[in-house]
Amino acid sequence: MDTLFSSQLLVAMLVLAAVYALIALGLNLIYGTMRLLNVAHGEIMMLGGYVSYWAFVKLGIVPLISMLAAILLTAILGALCYLTIFKAVVRNRALAARLESNSLLIFFGLSIIIQNLLSLSFSADPRSYAYLDAIIPIIGARVELNRLVELAIGAAATAACVIFFRYSRLGLAIRALIQQRDAASLIGIDAEKINLLVFSLGFAIAGLAGSLVGMTTAISPFGGFSYTISAFIIIILGGLGNLAGGLLGAVLLSFVEIYGVAATSSAYRSILVYGVFIAILLVRPQGLLGRKSA
Amino acid sequence: MKRRTVALLSAISAAALFGAPAAQAADPVKIGVAIAQTGPFAPAAIPTLNAYKFWVEQTNAAGGLDVAGTKRPIELIAYDDQSDFTKEATIYEKLITDDKVDLLLSPYGTPAHFALVGLLERYKFPMVGSTAASSQLKKVKPGNIWFTTSAMPDQMGPELVKMLQSLGLKSIAIAALQSPFPQEFEDYVKAALKGTDIKLVADEQFAPDIRDMTSVVTAIKKANPDAVLSLSFPQQSILYMKAARELNLDAPFQLVLIGPTHEFFAKIFGANLNGIMTIGHWSPFQAKWPKAMPFSEAYTKRFNQPPDYLDVPLAYMSCEILAQAVAKAGLNKDKLRAEIASATFDTIDGAVKFDGVQNVSTPTMFLQIQDGKAQIVWPKSEATATFQKKSPWAN
Repeated sequence: MDTLFSSQLLVAMLVLAAVYALIALGLNLIYGTMRLLNVAHGEIMMLGGYVSYWAFVKLGIVPLISMLAAILLTAILGALCYLTIFKAVVRNRALAARLESNSLLIFFGLSIIIQNLLSLSFSADPRSYAYLDAIIPIIGARVELNRLVELAIGAAATAACVIFFRYSRLGLAIRALIQQRDAASLIGIDAEKINLLVFSLGFAIAGLAGSLVGMTTAISPFGGFSYTISAFIIIILGGLGNLAGGLLGAVLLSFVEIYGVAATSSAYRSILVYGVFIAILLVRPQGLLGRKSA
Repeated sequence: MKRRTVALLSAISAAALFGAPAAQAADPVKIGVAIAQTGPFAPAAIPTLNAYKFWVEQTNAAGGLDVAGTKRPIELIAYDDQSDFTKEATIYEKLITDDKVDLLLSPYGTPAHFALVGLLERYKFPMVGSTAASSQLKKVKPGNIWFTTSAMPDQMGPELVKMLQSLGLKSIAIAALQSPFPQEFEDYVKAALKGTDIKLVADEQFAPDIRDMTSVVTAIKKANPDAVLSLSFPQQSILYMKAARELNLDAPFQLVLIGPTHEFFAKIFGANLNGIMTIGHWSPFQAKWPKAMPFSEAYTKRFNQPPDYLDVPLAYMSCEILAQAVAKAGLNKDKLRAEIASATFDTIDGAVKFDGVQNVSTPTMFLQIQDGKAQIVWPKSEATATFQKKSPWAN
């Protein structure tokens, strides 16, 4: 039992929660505003990871700087993706009716393209580097500095997004669009502009998450899928499209993964994760903070 | 399914340009393989494909494959199985019936090898295996498939316990990935522990999608074992190493199943890899195998990274065995089968001879990273260095 009160577990959970929150945020934004299922989310993360890997290994630029390039590149990719594919699809009434299911196929295609482009550019070999890997003692735990950086930047970026959505006009406009798409358009919110922004922001957050993850583990062109799965679990747990719910889902999932395993056995990790997932959806099919559909 | 022909017909080109002997301008020998070039197994499988390509390049550069006395260039037909083992038999059937290949190289991983057993039997097409390791393989009917590795769970389990006993270690903790190879290895270790004075003090299992192993390593540290086995694949091996370092796990014997000999692993962990044990039965530092170091150097030069110490040598060995058999028996399947089954082959891993489907020449070994190099430390008869206790984790 004393193991459960170890600060090492607490830090491990916080690091995992910060990464999960960031990953889920990007996915949730795009789903929330446009009802698009971005199954290429993990691959966009890997793209961000490769930007930082390449910058560090080839140019000697540290990830703390190159993550800005990862954010920019993935944001541009998001904008291009919206302008070239989804803008027309959203405008077309016939296609818009099937948008959610079609988006699944479109993003699946995008994920395959990104995987293969990364594989052609960097080969399928896993890539890694050592950066900020000194052990830092903190509240009685010993943690690699890069994991603390992951925690700090993940938490800061999530907090910045929360503040942006709560207090800025643009953020409020996005939330309005998420909550009442038709009503938001009626009061003069430019949905197309918001869609473009959300696509860029959602992709950029994934790029940032990939850059952070690449500091602590190996990345490969085909390593993104498991992150996509985790992100979907989190946003469904929290309530699809609900940003605060996503945050709660991230904390809950990381709690189950760290403390659930510590209290039982690592053999039960998947049983615990999916058991909690199913149990919550049985009680609240709309997710923890999701709204019941009318 | 995408066809990638890696035809290195330099011998033909040279013959056309410079009027080389007619024998060198013979039809190419078609060699087929299907391997994961995309999908989740691609990162692990690509080094195997690299080893195949490297062997083809070297052979063609030396004038071609010796087919019972006649040198012929090799045309390698490599398909992508997209990490889907259910496609393996279909693709290999296409290689045999449609592409009409003369020879086959093996796919990546145990399940893919298993998937081909029936097909090879049906077409009576001999194939030398590479990256397959399971005691179940011994139940396969001998005749058309052979397995080159000695890193078989049923051999490694007792051998590892023998090593722990020789080191005087008294307790062991095991954390095993929920996947067939690690589970099988764990079962054989546990069976071998019975009747010894080594106590199993922690027994953890974890799923492949685990994201953090702090909880697992915390439980192991609490048990304070002399030896720890992290029976993990590369992604989880990274998590184990990070958690072990953060928790300052100081067991003198720490074995990580797959990962420590991969280049990307060294890039993350650097000096912290020193003292980590792993499986394998090849090292370029083994002077008894004169071809080992030149192979390692040439491979490193070609791919700008060193070979791992398991999959790449196994894949290359399978090519060497095939080449030596073809040099004697030609491309006739019956003669080739008889030659592979009976001859002794000279490889980068020393002599290889098969009994049934299994390589019975290469002993089961264990490696340890010392000063950044993977040295054979067990058994003593094959050792390139002596075992060292795991050095403290660097801060």
